Amino acid sequence: MLLLDSIFIGLLEASPLILAAMGFTLIFYLNGFMNIAYAESITFGAYFAILFNVVLGAHFYLAIVPSMLLSGALSVAVYLGIFRPALNRGVGPTEMIILSVGVSFLLRYGLILAVGPVNMFLNEPNITYLQFLGMGATNLQLVALVLVLIAAGTLYWMIYNTGLGEQMRGLANNHDLAMASGINPHRTSVAIWFIAGCAGGLSGIFSGVFAQVTPYMGWNVILITMLVTIVAGVGSVRGAVVAAVAAGILTAFITLVTKPLYAEVILLTMFIAVLTFRGARTA
Amino acid sequence: MDYLIFSFSLMLVYIGLAQLLHIQFGMAGIPNFGVVGFWGLGLYGTGVLYVTYDVPLFIAIAIASTLSAAVGYALALLVLQRSGQAVLAATLALSAIIATLIVSEKDITGGVQGLGTIKFPFGDMDGRNIVFMVFILIIVAALVWLSAKLRDSRMGRQLVAIRDNEELAASLGKDTASTKRWVFAVTCGMMGVLGGMSAPLHQFLVPYQLAPSLTFAVWIALVLGGKGHNLGAIVGVFVTFGLFDILIETYAPVPAEQAILLPNFKLFCYGLVLIMIIMFRPRGMLGEDKPKVRARPAEVEGVPHET
Amino acid sequence: MRLEAQKLTKACHAHEVVNIKKVPFGSGGLEGLIGPNGAGKSTLMGLLTRRIAPTSGDIQLDVGDGVHKLNPLKSYEVARIGLIKTNQRIQGFDSLTIKDSLRLAATPPKDEGFSSLFSKMRDSDEIEDKVARLVEAFPFTDRNGYAMSGGEKKLVDILRCLIAQPKLLLMDEPTAGLPDDITRMVMDMVRQKVADGEMRVVVVEHDLPMIWEYCDYVHFLSEGTILFEGTPEEVKSNRVVAEKYMGV
Repeated sequence: MLLLDSIFIGLLEASPLILAAMGFTLIFYLNGFMNIAYAESITFGAYFAILFNVVLGAHFYLAIVPSMLLSGALSVAVYLGIFRPALNRGVGPTEMIILSVGVSFLLRYGLILAVGPVNMFLNEPNITYLQFLGMGATNLQLVALVLVLIAAGTLYWMIYNTGLGEQMRGLANNHDLAMASGINPHRTSVAIWFIAGCAGGLSGIFSGVFAQVTPYMGWNVILITMLVTIVAGVGSVRGAVVAAVAAGILTAFITLVTKPLYAEVILLTMFIAVLTFRGARTA
Repeated sequence: MDYLIFSFSLMLVYIGLAQLLHIQFGMAGIPNFGVVGFWGLGLYGTGVLYVTYDVPLFIAIAIASTLSAAVGYALALLVLQRSGQAVLAATLALSAIIATLIVSEKDITGGVQGLGTIKFPFGDMDGRNIVFMVFILIIVAALVWLSAKLRDSRMGRQLVAIRDNEELAASLGKDTASTKRWVFAVTCGMMGVLGGMSAPLHQFLVPYQLAPSLTFAVWIALVLGGKGHNLGAIVGVFVTFGLFDILIETYAPVPAEQAILLPNFKLFCYGLVLIMIIMFRPRGMLGEDKPKVRARPAEVEGVPHET
Repeated sequence: MRLEAQKLTKACHAHEVVNIKKVPFGSGGLEGLIGPNGAGKSTLMGLLTRRIAPTSGDIQLDVGDGVHKLNPLKSYEVARIGLIKTNQRIQGFDSLTIKDSLRLAATPPKDEGFSSLFSKMRDSDEIEDKVARLVEAFPFTDRNGYAMSGGEKKLVDILRCLIAQPKLLLMDEPTAGLPDDITRMVMDMVRQKVADGEMRVVVVEHDLPMIWEYCDYVHFLSEGTILFEGTPEEVKSNRVVAEKYMGV
């Protein structure tokens, strides 16, 4: 029963994480660096939702799509304005991560300066409690889960079954060859960054509605998102989904069994273990 | 006045940390994103030994920094030969583990309730905070001096070679893994020393002090000042911490409601500066400096030598 | 002095790139290794210096102080025993000047520890002397500065290996990227060192006239195996070699 509980709770809690991990992985896969500023896609998604849901008064479910799209647009803007020029200047992967920390700071503290350092709440739709296989969940959580599964499925399909996905994989695997075969890297990249931004935004929207919306919400989960991406192994989106789900379930399981803090320590230690055995060698 | 001494002491600690990061990243090419973890082991290690076991301060610092060095060596054994991204992620994860353990092991560390009080080691003497600051100054000055000696030495040359092309250095017989490990361990140990020295400064320790913001502040200072220059740390910290945390926060006439936003404005600027530097001047304000090698006696007679 | 490969194989995706039954290198003075493109020459060189791990087989090196099994060793350990290889693709240390690069290679690792922070002089007179003489012997654009062109970088790479005083030097296509006159200077220097007993050399090359002129013994590698070996005369006139390589 513990296992089933863990799986269920894990899945529910992992849903936002799964989305975040997929988006983070897309960028890592395409451009080869870990984009820490991705944390702000998550945060801004939630804040865009506040804009539509709280400020403009739209119903929560109606606020989801425009918030998500705006998040995608922000992601593209950051890519075109900062990351692509940087990559064109030949900035290396380690420096790109440092740069992304700078972007993260810029966005996060810019947001705080703009809207104030207060935590906010989204207006949830009516909550009904449901029983599912003997465990409790709210309709909202189930909707989130379903949306995540749809998003994950769509993303998976897009990457492995469409032209765009093929182009992305082509660009990621062999840039010169891909260019030579006529793939427009500009458009493909913009599309991928847009999708990644949407995934992050969606993740933030649901994290926000389950708890609260704070300027640090994305930053607080970026470490575990990085962990999941690396464990999944060099940006395999398939792997990212599996790893994110496993991380969610594992966290839930450990939390049920021991103190939540130990769950973090154990996960982080496993992270280092994976890096030890799987990271690319230098010499 | 006391507040200025406190701020200046803190600034010196930041300079020391940035100088050590210059050695780790600027010279050896190791991207350590866990600075706060190694500093924190020194801080809390010293705190626990001093408060719970009545160990005299400087001995406590020595023991705690040895722990920092050992943890640094262990991590190096595990991940230092992996890619730069892996090292970055692993060091970041390690500092998160340390911070989390400090919260969870509250029987030892006091957890979120905190640990204290750690006093300056000079009894009731007047001006003991100034004396302590001078101690820190001496340590940091020594670090800057040693860092220059390292740059000019054969070991420094090997580090630069490792940073530029590790495989090539290995093919010439250099045990690059061992060299990197030792440099990393020793510099992490020194970060622990600075952590221990920070204990009487803060007097009361709380886990919040181990947040990654310290790591990022040190990185931003170093990248701004010039990661490849021996004086990059000093310049960078002066322009960030010195300018913001001391000058502006202490002296700028800002009304109360805006004052709350000041730290956020500072971090916003840090982000902007970091972006500008990496994009347009990755070598930082001071650029790189070359080893200064003493001229050989024979050259005085007019035989050509290199400057 | 012998470098022996026994039953050495390297497979890439089930395709065997190298398969050497038993080949002693290093006993014939200045030796050459020739073969068509894709024969596996560079892979073999990488295997011998432990930059690449073999799929199976042993490599043994005897530099006069006993037999060393090279398999479990890391690449720096192989270099310390005395086996060093020049690089086919240009490799260098961008931050180091030409002379610093050579000083680095000439300095024994044991002198590069923490105690070196407190030496009076960074490099001994002996090393300074060696470096100066080596650099003076060649026409660099800026002897006190950095290697300018690809050719200069290639040359520095070779000089680095020479100044490291290897017992057995593997040269991986040294002529590629170097002007003819420089190549001659280098090979003359190498031949002199071999004659003086300072080291043995194995040269991998496509430039056949250079091989015939400088080598005392030549190995012919094709499709991952040594098909024939002998003196330059013998190899030149061998039918299999002529067929597979010289397109006769």
